[in-house]
Amino acid sequence: METSTQVYQRVAVLSVKGRVDSTSASDLEAALKKLLDEGRTNLVLDLSGVEFLSSSGLRVLVTTLKAVRKSAGDLRLAQLSQRASDAIDLAGLDVLFKTYEDREAAVASF
Amino acid sequence: MRTAKPLSPPSERRRARRRITVRADRARLVRVCQFVGASAAATGFDERTSHACQLAVCEAVENVIQHGYQGEAGEINVTVETTPGALTVEIADRAPAFDPTRYPVDPDAPVHESRVGGRGILMIRRVMDEISYERRGPQNVLRLTKNQPFSGV
Repeated sequence: METSTQVYQRVAVLSVKGRVDSTSASDLEAALKKLLDEGRTNLVLDLSGVEFLSSSGLRVLVTTLKAVRKSAGDLRLAQLSQRASDAIDLAGLDVLFKTYEDREAAVASF
Repeated sequence: MRTAKPLSPPSERRRARRRITVRADRARLVRVCQFVGASAAATGFDERTSHACQLAVCEAVENVIQHGYQGEAGEINVTVETTPGALTVEIADRAPAFDPTRYPVDPDAPVHESRVGGRGILMIRRVMDEISYERRGPQNVLRLTKNQPFSGV
């Protein structure tokens, strides 16, 4: 798994590529925690490059969502790959997240 | 006089069975995924159905590693049987008895962090068309069958 971050004035976008499973979920958690530690609570996850997303990866998304919402922020999802979208739906977590077809729309939603 | 060997039915002729054994180690999950993906391709499943099967099997194997063996050394046998249009995956381990078919999962329950683990079992149930569990001597044997294309929840 690889992540890259793009920071705007009010929003940070984390792009995720590759496999997010129990061996890489901690790396995703660390990348998100770094943004939280910088005081960023308006987050967009660009999931267009996600090839595999297991429940371990989903756990990180849910944990982060709760953390940012406590600080009146939000974690929104953009450009979901078919595989990421299927994993989120199968886990019944689609109702938790606001999702956007393109990244610019997700950024502009804050 | 030589007698011709009776022909097995077409579905039997095209039935294939393969098995891998992996250590109870999260790093081996990718190998299991690849194995299931290749097997799903042999059934003629489309890419989306193949991915859903990989997801379900990996969730099941991860449960065995995490909650079954709990960090102890152990082995997991993954056996696949393919026929045109159907994939059956049998996951066998020697961890303490655990029947995922009886684990209560409520898809509408509020999401609490600690309960996201149960989501893996929900994913398995939503992907697979048939699920059965058997305690066979010292082994847990979970049998997952996919025989319909997956086109979303």
